[in-house]
Parts: sequence; C-alpha cells; structure tokens
Amino acid sequence: MATTVTPLPEPLDPGAANRALAPRLGSGRLYLRRFARNRGALLGVALFVLLVLFSVFGSLFTRFAYTDADFAALTQPPSATHYFGTNQGGNDVYAEAVHGLQRSLVIAVSVSVLTIVLAAVIGAGAAYFGGRVEKLTLMVIHFLLVVPSFLILALISHHLAGDWRVLILVLTVFGWMSTARVVWSLSTSLRERDYVLAAEFMGVRPWRIVMRHIIPNLGSLLIVNLTLGVVATVLSETALSFLGFGVQTPDVSLGTMLADGSGTITSAPWLFGYPAALVVLLTVSMTLVGDGLRDAFDPTSTSAALRGRR
Amino acid sequence: MIHKSAAASTERVFLPVRKHHDHAQTRHTPAGPACGHRCRIPLLHEGGPMVRHVMRKAAGWLAMIVVATNVTYVLAAWFLDPRSNYRGLRPVRTEQQIDHALTPYNLDPRVPLAVRWWHWFSDVVLHFDWGKSPVGASVNSEIGFRVLVSGQLVTAATLLSVVAGVALSVFTASRQYGWWDRITQLVSVFLFNVPAAVAALAVVFAGIWLNQHLGWRFLYVAGEASPTVSGLWPTVADRFQHLILPTLSLTVLGYVGYHLTQRSLLLDSINSDFVRTARATGLTRAQAIRRHALRASLIPTATSVAFSIPAIFTGAVITETVFGWNGMGQYFVQTIAKNDVHGAVAVAAFGAAMTAIGAVLADVAVVLLDPRVRVS
Repeated sequence: MATTVTPLPEPLDPGAANRALAPRLGSGRLYLRRFARNRGALLGVALFVLLVLFSVFGSLFTRFAYTDADFAALTQPPSATHYFGTNQGGNDVYAEAVHGLQRSLVIAVSVSVLTIVLAAVIGAGAAYFGGRVEKLTLMVIHFLLVVPSFLILALISHHLAGDWRVLILVLTVFGWMSTARVVWSLSTSLRERDYVLAAEFMGVRPWRIVMRHIIPNLGSLLIVNLTLGVVATVLSETALSFLGFGVQTPDVSLGTMLADGSGTITSAPWLFGYPAALVVLLTVSMTLVGDGLRDAFDPTSTSAALRGRR
Repeated sequence: MIHKSAAASTERVFLPVRKHHDHAQTRHTPAGPACGHRCRIPLLHEGGPMVRHVMRKAAGWLAMIVVATNVTYVLAAWFLDPRSNYRGLRPVRTEQQIDHALTPYNLDPRVPLAVRWWHWFSDVVLHFDWGKSPVGASVNSEIGFRVLVSGQLVTAATLLSVVAGVALSVFTASRQYGWWDRITQLVSVFLFNVPAAVAALAVVFAGIWLNQHLGWRFLYVAGEASPTVSGLWPTVADRFQHLILPTLSLTVLGYVGYHLTQRSLLLDSINSDFVRTARATGLTRAQAIRRHALRASLIPTATSVAFSIPAIFTGAVITETVFGWNGMGQYFVQTIAKNDVHGAVAVAAFGAAMTAIGAVLADVAVVLLDPRVRVS
C-alpha cells in the first residue's frame, strides 16, 4: 500500500464524506470481514484445520504405526482396536490414513507454494520484459499446456522411484503453466500503469520492478490460486500414486491407499472408503476457502463493502 | 485447463478474464455488419478462406505433435532403462549380453542417443514404424486396436461432457439462484474435487450394486468386450454395455468445468444489451438465450475444449486402469513399468494427436460461431 508522505492537495473524492462518518477500514480487515461473512468459506477453513490437526495429532490416539503389521487381524472391518479396520497385510488403516494425509498435505502445500512463486516470477517477468522473452515464454507455456504432461510426469517420477521430495519437484516443474499464463495476461496491463512507468523513470532495475511493483499487485490472484493449487496438486498426486508412479511402498499417501483399496471395493469397502473420504474432504475444504477468498478479494464484490456499515 | 482430471491435472485456475483466443477479444454482437442475418456457415461458401485458416492452424498443431513426440522420446530414452528387463532373467546374463540383446530393437545403450533417435525418427516418418519393445514385440501391433478403444472412450466422454455441461448451464443460468441452479452447482463443485480414481471406483461400486438389484448383469465393470460374444448386433450391444460405465465416470469428471464456466459466461451475456435488443425484436426469452446469448458465450468454451483434452486423457489412463480396458492409458502404465521406450512415446504421440484434433475442431467451431473472426 502506497502512503503519501508530503501533503498534496486533496483530490476530488466522492467517498470522502462517507469516510469521515465511519472509521476507515484497513484492507486486511475488510477482506477478513468479507471472508468471515461467507459461511461456506468458514466451513472450509474449519474442515481444513481439522484435517491438519488430524494429520499431526491423529497418531497419538492409536498404538499402531502405519508400518506395523498386525498378523492376528488381516482385512478386519473397523473395530475398537483398529478404528478404520486393517488391510490385507494387517496394517492399521487409521494409522495409514493419518500418515497418508500428512504426506499428501505436505506435498500439496509445498508444490502449490513453489508453483505460485514460479508462475508469478515467470508470468510477470515475461509480461514486463516483453519482446522475444515474452514470445518464447508463451511458446513454452502453450507447449507444456497441450503436451500430455501427465505422461512425462509419470515417466520421470517412475525413474526417480517414489521419493516424495522428488515428487514435489516434478509436480512443480509441470504445474506452473496455467497460473503463469493468467499472471502474464494480467501483468500485460499492469506494466502500462503509471506507478510502473514512474519506477522506470526513477531508474529502478527491471527485476526490482517485477518483484516490488507488479507481483504485489497480483497478490489476491496469487493467494486464490494458491488454495486452488492445493486442490490440483492433491488430485495429481493421488492420480500418480494410484497408478504406482508417485509415492511408493513402504511409504503411504492417500493415492497409494486408494490403489490398495480399489481391488476389494465390494469385499472390504473400508480400505477404499476412508482414504477416499479424506481426499474429498481435503479438496472440497480448499475449494471452499478458495472461493471465499476470491469473493473477499474481488473489488466488484458487493458483500461487505456496501452492506457492511450499519 | 486444464483442466479437470485430474483430474488431475487437471488445471484449475482463477480466471478473472476469460480470453483464450487472440482474435475473439471484443464482445460478440450478432447484429454486426459482418452478419446482418445470422449466417450459419460464414466464409465456407465465400471461396474458402476458412479452409485455409484451418489448414494453417492444423499445420501448427502438427509441428506441436512432432516436437512433443520427440521431446518424449528423449526423456523416455533417458529415464527408462530397458536393460533392467533382462537383469532378473535366469541364467544371469552379463551386461554385454544384455546390450547385445537390445541392439536389434534400437535400444542398445552403447549406441549414442542421437543415433538411436535418428533410427527411430526415420522409421516413424518413412515407414510409420513406431519401433519394438525391449522384448521384441512390435509397438504398431500393440497400439493398433488400443487406439480405437481409447479413441472411442475419449471422444465419447469429451462430446458427452460438452453437451451435458452446456445443456446444464443453459438450464441453470435461465433459473439463476433457483433450486435447480443451487443443487446442480453444489453437485458440480463437489464433483470438481473428486479424484478420477475415486470417481471411477464409485461408478464401479454403483454399477455392481445396480446389477445386483436388477438381478441382471447389464453393466460390465471389467474389460472392453466379452470374448464369447459373436454376431454383429450382439457384439455392438456387448460393446455398448462395456462402454457405459467408463464413459460415465469420465463424463462425470469432465462436464463440471463446462457447466461452471459456461454458466457464468452465459449469465454475463444474458444480461447484456444485445440480448435485450433481441428480446425487443420479438423473440421469446428462450429463443433469445439460445440464439444470441448462448451463441456468443459458447466461443470461449469452444476454445477451452482443446485444452481440456489432456485432462480427459489423464482421466482415461486411470479409468482404463480401474475398468481393465486394454486401451492406450493402460498400455502407457505397462510400458513405463516395463521400460518400453518406444511404446511410451507412441502413447504420448497419441495424446498429443488427440489434443491437436480437439484444437482444430475447436477452431472450426469458433469460426462457425463467431462471424467477426476474419480468418486472415
């Protein structure tokens, strides 16, 4: 937020009278208020917090680790000992679910953060520098968008065999394009703005303009895409692991649990049902949060800004 | 884009401004000078600039397929190790013997990658020979029937998704904030978040349940055809019974994107001036929506079809795995697991080709829908 230091003549401002009546609301407070008005978004936050707590502290409530095999209880339905039942190898599904959720969450959050950073820098950089850089970047983006990137993803992550940190890297490399394209299209208008021109005339270095003047003005878009990126990453991670190209045994993620449970969907539905429910809860909660944030940031939104004052 | 699927890849982004296409930027006005009366097939009968336009686009896509396929070849040759297929064999072979065994299949790691690539590339271009697997099976004979199997799945799912999504969007946008609108939107947002694997398995579960309750095995959950069926009509019926559930599970994932984006686009154009003008000329509300609002708002959707095909293809990989279809998706999983470089590349080429076909069709659709597209 730019603040004026020297007193300038007050411009004609139709909102000035209103502002004098009510104390000025900071933009952060305004966003928070709009967000809190959205029941779906609050539900999403609550669900997400519960899931995070479950993944962090869930293991305290069971005496089984996800690697333990209880040979006295193979493929048992849910019971007091094994809350979510056991699988064919005697592993406790509850312990696996806690660990798998943790794994999926860590992958999803780190990939979406890395993706957003990459997309913002590449998209805004391409728009600002223009010319050949822009053309080349757009070509690469379009190419990667239409190439069956999932197949290449599978190829690489299969070779690097199941290390979840490598999976984060690979998912990031193939996940930034669509966001970068949106960032680019919005930055092309930002680069013509007066404050960018002013910074240019003051001799600010190009990358500094991108980092300090263009990217911060896309903040709301980036935050919304961050939450939606979590959803997209969970879905791709699940798909890769389901096919056996993502996280691999002995490690467990929600995707590998779905794959394990898929063969016994009629005889032992709990093997499939619990991880499926967790994945869907996770993605639905993040979508609700993302929609709430979008409404809160949208300047054309009429929810709190106009109706907010009593 | 894209993107549901997952699916995955599904690509879900926050798009405040939906402008995919370079030459569809201003708002569509059906009553513009270019199109005084609604011309159904503009430019096609005016000497064929549209044909040229589409040809040029198709050439660009062809180049894309070539580049994508070659990139995949380099990556596959780099990351897959065909030698490991022979390492587990008894009697144990030396590395030299293994390399020697791989030589006739153009997979010998001692030969430089550039040389192997040239062999592979010239075979594909000159003879349309996609190479051999590490154990000597011809890729061509493997993909021949699989292309048809996957092609029908992806095509049917794409068409059904577009039709269902657009129809639902028209239905709900004309009843904004009504019960139906809210319920379908809730369902769509929910389905938007379901992983392809979960959706496919849920459909399998529902299919089995339905079969049990009907007491008649109407829906098949495994394979793409029964081996024992003979005769033309029984075969067609049998194929159809196998096709229903996989197509359904792909469509359930694919229609959502069209429904949600098309609904908001349609709502924008329903309230715009040119639709009010159309109403003022005496059209009913339904006619105005169908002929003017829908037509204008279909343009961005048409361009997005191409970008959603990679996601549908990803969904198809999972669907085929779940339903045990011998299609390209399942073949891809096998080829990677078995270090079959040439097979994996053929699948990537297939995926790129499907995307390109979708994109060219989308271009044709845009030209048909938008009279302002001067195809120059």
